[in-house]
Amino acid sequence: MRFEPKIIAFCCNWCAYAAADLAGTSRMQYPSNVRIIRVMCTGMVHPEMILRSFAKGADGTMVLG
Amino acid sequence: MTLCEVTEVAGGVGDFRVTVMERPRYVDVDKCIACGECATICPKKVDDEYNAGTGKRKAVYVKYAQAVPLKYQIDEQACIRMKKPGRCGACAKACPAGAIRFDDTEKMHEIEVGSIILAPGFEGFDPSGTGVYGYGDYPNVITSMQLERYLSASGPTEGQLVRPSDGKPVRRMAFLQCIGSRDENVCGKSYCSSVCCMYAIKEAVIAGEHVPELQTSIFYMDMRTHGKGFDEYYQRAKNEAGIRFVRCRVNGVEPEGKRGDLRLHYVNEEGRQVEEFFDLVVLSIGLETPRHVLELAEKTDIRLTPHNFAAVSDFAPVSTSQAGIFACGAFAGPKDIPQSVMEGSAAAAAAADILSPARHEMTMEKTFPPERDILGEALRIGVFVCHCGSNIAGYVDVEEVADYAATLPGVVHVERNLFTCSQDTQELMVKVIQKQNLNRIVVAACTPRTHEPLFHETIKAAGLNEYLFEMANIRNQNSWVHAGDKKVATRKAQDLTRMAVAKVAWQNPLQNFAVPITHNALVIGGGLAGMAAARNLARQGFPVDLVERSGVLGGNAIHLHNTWSGEHIPHHLYGLISDVSNSKMITIHSETEVVEAQGYVGKFKTTIKGRNGVKQIIEHGVTIVATGGGRLMPDEYGYRKYRGVVSAIEFDKLWEINDKQVRASNAFVFIQCVGSREPERNYCSKVCCTHSVQSAIELKKEDPGRRVYILYRDMRTYGQRETLYKKAREMGVVCINYELHGKPKVDRSDNGFEVEVWDHVLHRPLLISADMIVLAAAIIPGSGAKKLARMYKLPMDKYGFFQEAHTKLRPVDFATDGIFLAGMAHYPKPVEESIAQALAASARAATLLSRDQVLLDAIKAEVDPDCCDGCALCIDVCPYHAISLVEETDDAGVLHKLVTINKAHCKGCGLCQGTCPKRGIAVAGFTFKQLESQLDAALAM
Amino acid sequence: MLNSKTVGSAMVVGGGIAGMQAALDIADAGYFVYLIEYTGAIGGAMAQLDKTFPTNDCSM
Repeated sequence: MRFEPKIIAFCCNWCAYAAADLAGTSRMQYPSNVRIIRVMCTGMVHPEMILRSFAKGADGTMVLG
Repeated sequence: MTLCEVTEVAGGVGDFRVTVMERPRYVDVDKCIACGECATICPKKVDDEYNAGTGKRKAVYVKYAQAVPLKYQIDEQACIRMKKPGRCGACAKACPAGAIRFDDTEKMHEIEVGSIILAPGFEGFDPSGTGVYGYGDYPNVITSMQLERYLSASGPTEGQLVRPSDGKPVRRMAFLQCIGSRDENVCGKSYCSSVCCMYAIKEAVIAGEHVPELQTSIFYMDMRTHGKGFDEYYQRAKNEAGIRFVRCRVNGVEPEGKRGDLRLHYVNEEGRQVEEFFDLVVLSIGLETPRHVLELAEKTDIRLTPHNFAAVSDFAPVSTSQAGIFACGAFAGPKDIPQSVMEGSAAAAAAADILSPARHEMTMEKTFPPERDILGEALRIGVFVCHCGSNIAGYVDVEEVADYAATLPGVVHVERNLFTCSQDTQELMVKVIQKQNLNRIVVAACTPRTHEPLFHETIKAAGLNEYLFEMANIRNQNSWVHAGDKKVATRKAQDLTRMAVAKVAWQNPLQNFAVPITHNALVIGGGLAGMAAARNLARQGFPVDLVERSGVLGGNAIHLHNTWSGEHIPHHLYGLISDVSNSKMITIHSETEVVEAQGYVGKFKTTIKGRNGVKQIIEHGVTIVATGGGRLMPDEYGYRKYRGVVSAIEFDKLWEINDKQVRASNAFVFIQCVGSREPERNYCSKVCCTHSVQSAIELKKEDPGRRVYILYRDMRTYGQRETLYKKAREMGVVCINYELHGKPKVDRSDNGFEVEVWDHVLHRPLLISADMIVLAAAIIPGSGAKKLARMYKLPMDKYGFFQEAHTKLRPVDFATDGIFLAGMAHYPKPVEESIAQALAASARAATLLSRDQVLLDAIKAEVDPDCCDGCALCIDVCPYHAISLVEETDDAGVLHKLVTINKAHCKGCGLCQGTCPKRGIAVAGFTFKQLESQLDAALAM
Repeated sequence: MLNSKTVGSAMVVGGGIAGMQAALDIADAGYFVYLIEYTGAIGGAMAQLDKTFPTNDCSM
């Protein structure tokens, strides 16, 4: 079986999350491995959140803002 | 109301009857879901005006991807079916919502309004008819608007900068300025369009970011970067982005070879004839009033300037010649975005002045049923899965998603809707929530960024707290981006739904935070801007406290005589002063300063202190800062050393009192940019070029035999002021350009002065003998500004002017709610711009003052007193100064430290949450528990 | 001179950046607004701009 990484992306509501929406509106295609968690600002993403995502099995974590 | 135009205006101020014609869209907006099926199948392609003709669109189209309303329309000029009934019609068959209406017709609307605001905008000058610089003949000569689209990721080349002729990457690009501006011979436009210098620099910088090896040259006459921050941007473009600026008018553009190279020839600054080659030549087109707008002006019977812009007074910069009809934006003269936004607000203020007797008469507050208490209830989650027509259902097995959702913990009700956002589904949702007693709602559909507010309303209507809600974004972030693999998209939709369910399970009811508004305003500064704002607020019915540091009202305007258009300043100023002094709504505190400030939007408490030492506390809902500017005392060109070297303001005074030296003088030299656009003050003072040109005209008018020189760096007579510059030159005023590295030298001579300056036409130093030297000294920030900034915690730029919330879109707001900015405290500006900004500040203030309270959303930081130990780390990171430390001693005498949140200041960004080492603070709706549950659910695949 | 009757609404002609700002501010001050746009969507010329000075922010 092919390796399918699990990726978590914390996205700022005002920019990265909006960008992900726009990617949809523009019908850009990308792999489905990423799961987006919306935050009001990437500043609210506590380091513990990132550690927890790895502990729970994420292969990569992105903080986008 | 889109696709509409005004066809007739009857009645008058306070009670207009306007006839509006709505052209047919041929698409039912209530049904269209903007899925785009129609455009996909439409066989007809035409030039896309949104892309300035650089790309194609279909005959059925949306103007652009983010258009509002996002509804398709049919171009009847292009549509095959519209031209020949019975043919094509493919879109009607493809439309899943049945929204196509080939039989749509014109509709007429009769609308009663109290006031009309005209903001019809501009269009770019179209150079095709003139054949200027080969536009239309050579494909690689394009307009700046076309370049804008080429550079855009949503444009025809997705941001690739290539030559239209052969698709070759562009390496050498030239901008030619003033196309359709400052040129009566070829283009028939004598005014300056004000914005082209700046947009050319911006486009050049951005193009350079796209193509690092790009070499860009900008050919210009005067670099008119007079706005706030513009000169710094210009310097950065020159020094950091490596853009070359060449001061000359290019003689011609010709093709070189067959592949599309272009040859430019021009006379360079050393006076030599030069030839250069470019891949792309960009014409920086000016702004002009579109024809349909001229018709609008005719229908509304308002006066236009000779340049076809709305005629307005400098003292009423948004009022047209018809009472009750206002104009703003580029229709009232060519201008940039921030100025247009300011005028938009200013027009609102001017209209509100008329409408105030009928405030709230035509608006309604929505009412909602009382909120159900869900405390102690077990989870009853309802999941609504949206098909979005085929937008989701076409790529995701929605049935499978719904079945899966029903298995999730806490979920008691699942249903699918064709369009969850449609009006009928909303009504259905309300019924379902009530019937099923649901206490958490998940909608799996599009993005919360556009649809969350709608669903909040729906849930509220069902008697549930609006925050007990979460969206799973299975369209924008799923079906649309994984269109090729239904299995994958379906699985991801299930994951996203699971995440939303996990998060909403931990959501508590939240209450919006209401801040009551004190219905009066404090205006700081009694100059033109402060008084104009105070007068407008008073006329709208709001009490104003006006604080002025000096003993007289008027500010800098006391020293001025004429506006650029020749209006008499003292006359209008005294009118304003008497209005303000006689208004029962305005309390003037003269010889008074602000000494302390507390509070927040709706509830400020400001302490003022008179010269007599008496203090007074004013409670007010909003604050307008209009502290004005000051003037620089020059330390060069012999100022204060020689009699006869004076500043512009002093010269005006001498002229006014018929001074002996002015009378006796025959040769005058004006030196521009004295203290402005220098390294320590790298901004333009904006008013001096026009001022000197006006003085020069007056001198010449009185005695044409006088010799008058203006030594300038760039002649910034922007907009319709250009006519003054032209007039001055026609009258024989000699304008000589100098550069910062070759400043003029002033020496005393036997009977006056000798000024040496490099002549760029003759290419040798020029000696001018002069009797008087007039220095255009810089405008600097007002002296009290810094102190005030500290008291209200307001940001300033590095020169000491106040910093607005957003340079483009919020030019009169501060980042702090309830405080607004007007006049020269913001940046040097002429009378009409100060007044426009003052009216804008008044309009912005009125949006708060007209309400009894401001409702702020509940997404705010909350402290968990069990975990917070008062370490105060969060206090420093909070960008809004919303957190403070409190210390309390309990009954046992133990000291407890704890932070508290000022909810009126908190914006819910959660920087505190990310910083707190003890989980003592979190943003409601995004608590640790919620984010963790969502995260865990995401990874439980 | 004000008429005896004042209608508590305004019409804004043009849905560009200036018109939208005017419409928002009047509406927020408690008056009904009719926003009339010539084309099929509001946004005006600014919607065509890729990015704006000085931060080169996207202008959307």
